Amino acid sequence: MPPRLRLQPSQLRPVRPRTQYVCWQCRHASLASATTPAPPIEQTIAAVPPISRYPPTQPPSYKPPEFRKSQLHRVYQSTLRSSPLILLFQHNNLKATEWSGIRRELSAALKKVDDDLAKNAGDSAYIGSGMKLQIVQTGIFASALKVVEFWDPKFEPEAPTTHPADPQTASSTSIEDTKPVASDPGFKHGLSKQAYLATKKNQALRHGLEPLLSGPLALLTFPDVSPQHLKAALSILSPGPDFPAPKRRVNPAYHEKAVQDGLQKLMLLGARVECKVFDTQGARWVGSIEGGLGGLRAQLVAMLSGIGAGITNTLEAAGRSLYVTVEGRRGMLEEEQKGGKEGGEEQPPASSA
Amino acid sequence: MITKYITAVSTAFSPFNARSGKTVRNFLALLPPNARSKMAIDVKMFGQREAEKPASLSLTFKDGKEMAMDLEKMKLKDIQTEVDRHSRTLRRVEELSG
Repeated sequence: MPPRLRLQPSQLRPVRPRTQYVCWQCRHASLASATTPAPPIEQTIAAVPPISRYPPTQPPSYKPPEFRKSQLHRVYQSTLRSSPLILLFQHNNLKATEWSGIRRELSAALKKVDDDLAKNAGDSAYIGSGMKLQIVQTGIFASALKVVEFWDPKFEPEAPTTHPADPQTASSTSIEDTKPVASDPGFKHGLSKQAYLATKKNQALRHGLEPLLSGPLALLTFPDVSPQHLKAALSILSPGPDFPAPKRRVNPAYHEKAVQDGLQKLMLLGARVECKVFDTQGARWVGSIEGGLGGLRAQLVAMLSGIGAGITNTLEAAGRSLYVTVEGRRGMLEEEQKGGKEGGEEQPPASSA
Repeated sequence: MITKYITAVSTAFSPFNARSGKTVRNFLALLPPNARSKMAIDVKMFGQREAEKPASLSLTFKDGKEMAMDLEKMKLKDIQTEVDRHSRTLRRVEELSG
């Protein structure tokens, strides 16, 4: 029977791959004497880093970045670097209603301090609105604290010592920050391998907060060191004889059951003030500074100028006492002379008469 | 840890003492949320300078038994075992009595 498809034998030969059509000019372009564009000036002076394997917005992370704990690590590093004053509390099974009650009372008290400062001292920083009472994952927080304390990213790059046009530079000198590898020191973010190794390498380094980082932890973070806000926060969260709690008549909402039960389960452990560790007593001492940091600076200035005035007085004292003595003696002599003259003047009229 | 039969907890510790501070704090974290209404909890905290002062933890049970824990030798697991042991006897008594 004849084939169903009427195909000619020539059509059955294998198909040669069709090349893309190129016009005559492009085909012979390599023979032409075309000029290449000049490189940018920077490229002629310094070596160009190779194409990076990682985009600048997603540098390589030592631990998997898609895990929540890696992102929490970044959040905690940022909190530690941006909060010069942090109070550490232990929270023992507080309920959600208790937390909301405590946060409500705290924000009300801080708002009052903010308004007072804005009205009286003209300080419109409104630190109270930037303060946060948050629960942290203790293990991740401990790791983030180690990175913040022990790893220095050195953001200012050192000046390159090799210059390509310098005849002393060897032709095969390797330039730093050119290797697109994850462990390259050019990566300066807190999740990098460099940051991880900096905390692991030296096990003897201690930052002082290690004994506190165990069990359930909550932080109260301050965007700025402000003793007035600290005083208000301590009088709400851990009241004592030096920071009394608001009275029932003044603030009845503070004395409701949820808030009081919650406050009994919150324990102040310590504080981290400007990278230094303080215990409960130290935190209370910081809170008791009168007039805030401005007042402290004013006291310091007054004390220093007082010292200067004291030294000046002491040095002048000898000269001053000598002057006073001489003046007094001169006055006395003048009086005697006057007295003698008057006596002399009185006598002759008496004798003449 | 069975905490139903504890009526009072009294502790004194320094949070800066790595061993005893962590033990006491983790013990306090094991108490249930409604514990404060049912038991009397007394916590006294020392400062950073008194970190070496000996810490103390003493519990009182429903039958009046007072248990003082030696924090030098006991870890949290040991404390839990002790508390559970006594609490189980109290639980059995309670079940039998009705």
